Amino acid sequence: MNELDDQLRELIPRLRRFAVSLTRNPSNADDLVQTCLERALSKWNDKHPDGDLRAWLFSILYRQFLDAHRRSRRYARMLEFFTGRDDAHPSAERSVIAQSSLQAFDQLTTEQRALLLWVSVEGLSYQQVADILDVPTGTVMSRLSRARQALRQLSDGEISRPTLRILK
Amino acid sequence: MISMPPSDSDLHAYVDRQLSPDDQRLMQTYLATHPEVAARVQGWQQDAQQLRTALGGALQQPTNPDLDPAMIRRRLKYRSRRYLASAAVLLVALGLGGISGWQAREMTLLSAAAPMADAMQAYRLFAQQGILPADYQTGDEQHMQDWLDRYFTQANRLPDLSGAGFKPVSGRLLSTEQGAAAMVVYQDPNGQKISFYVRPPGPKNFLLPRGSRRDGELQAEYWSGPGYNYAVVIPGDMPTAQKLRQTLNF
Repeated sequence: MNELDDQLRELIPRLRRFAVSLTRNPSNADDLVQTCLERALSKWNDKHPDGDLRAWLFSILYRQFLDAHRRSRRYARMLEFFTGRDDAHPSAERSVIAQSSLQAFDQLTTEQRALLLWVSVEGLSYQQVADILDVPTGTVMSRLSRARQALRQLSDGEISRPTLRILK
Repeated sequence: MISMPPSDSDLHAYVDRQLSPDDQRLMQTYLATHPEVAARVQGWQQDAQQLRTALGGALQQPTNPDLDPAMIRRRLKYRSRRYLASAAVLLVALGLGGISGWQAREMTLLSAAAPMADAMQAYRLFAQQGILPADYQTGDEQHMQDWLDRYFTQANRLPDLSGAGFKPVSGRLLSTEQGAAAMVVYQDPNGQKISFYVRPPGPKNFLLPRGSRRDGELQAEYWSGPGYNYAVVIPGDMPTAQKLRQTLNF
């Protein structure tokens, strides 16, 4: 029990980083990490990973983010329906990952951000990512390829219009 | 393992160091002679390196005590206890709701929906099944009247049913929501029993119009007199039922 807690404590910074890259908002990110850990701890006795604890936690967190995201989008649509306007667009909260090298990353889709973080930053294997997303490794590789191309194009775009940014 | 020229996937696998050592070497040889492909691969490698650097800072956040596993365990335990407690409360509430709902149903039946249902119920428990013992037994009609008068002032006199062969033999006090009620059982020489029932009016001083109601094998004739409601309960299949009703002048 305490051994598990120590392992979890070590992984918490990585979970928080992943959560920030998904939510782009530190307090939402910590809420997400908290529900992820709650879920992991309450599920631990029935079902815990044979392999990499980190990959297992990533998959729980990712799924919870998608669920919450779906819910909030549904809520946003409902709000829009009743108020006639769209309040759901994130505004100043996007400044969390504000470094210029992350602006391109920030514009990728949720799955592309998760893929690049898992593979390029965390160094998970294609097989582990395939398990998380529940798709074949071939699919992981083609999606990764598209994510890299998108990031490349966006980064090139950033570099070509720096003056516009400064003037803004 | 990898094909030559390498596929897009092979190139990504090289960037991600997911090739076998042999393939890794093979790829390095290939890239050395294909600068265009090498530049593409290098671009990806740079992006990955930049991403690692940029996201590295996110690992250095100050710790959040709410996220400590021990804290989360405590919260989970507290929550499950609260969950159990509220489940228990819910069960109790359901139980109480069920019981009081049933009682309310019975009371409704007794007071409004079915006039003098309590008289019939008392007849079943007391005269038919003998579940309730008698409070007072006598062979004398006057004694029975005296007994009844102790509890009910100004009540109707006990009906004289001797014309049909019935004499009061026992009495029993019962309780209702509105106060004491009494039942006097009459018996004829054949052991047939009928009952005379006195009770306070129901809620809102509810007095009954003269009427009669059949419930199963029992027939209740009821009316209201000064201050009380009255009923005579007669088994419907009794041969003397018709004669009794005539005697009572219903």
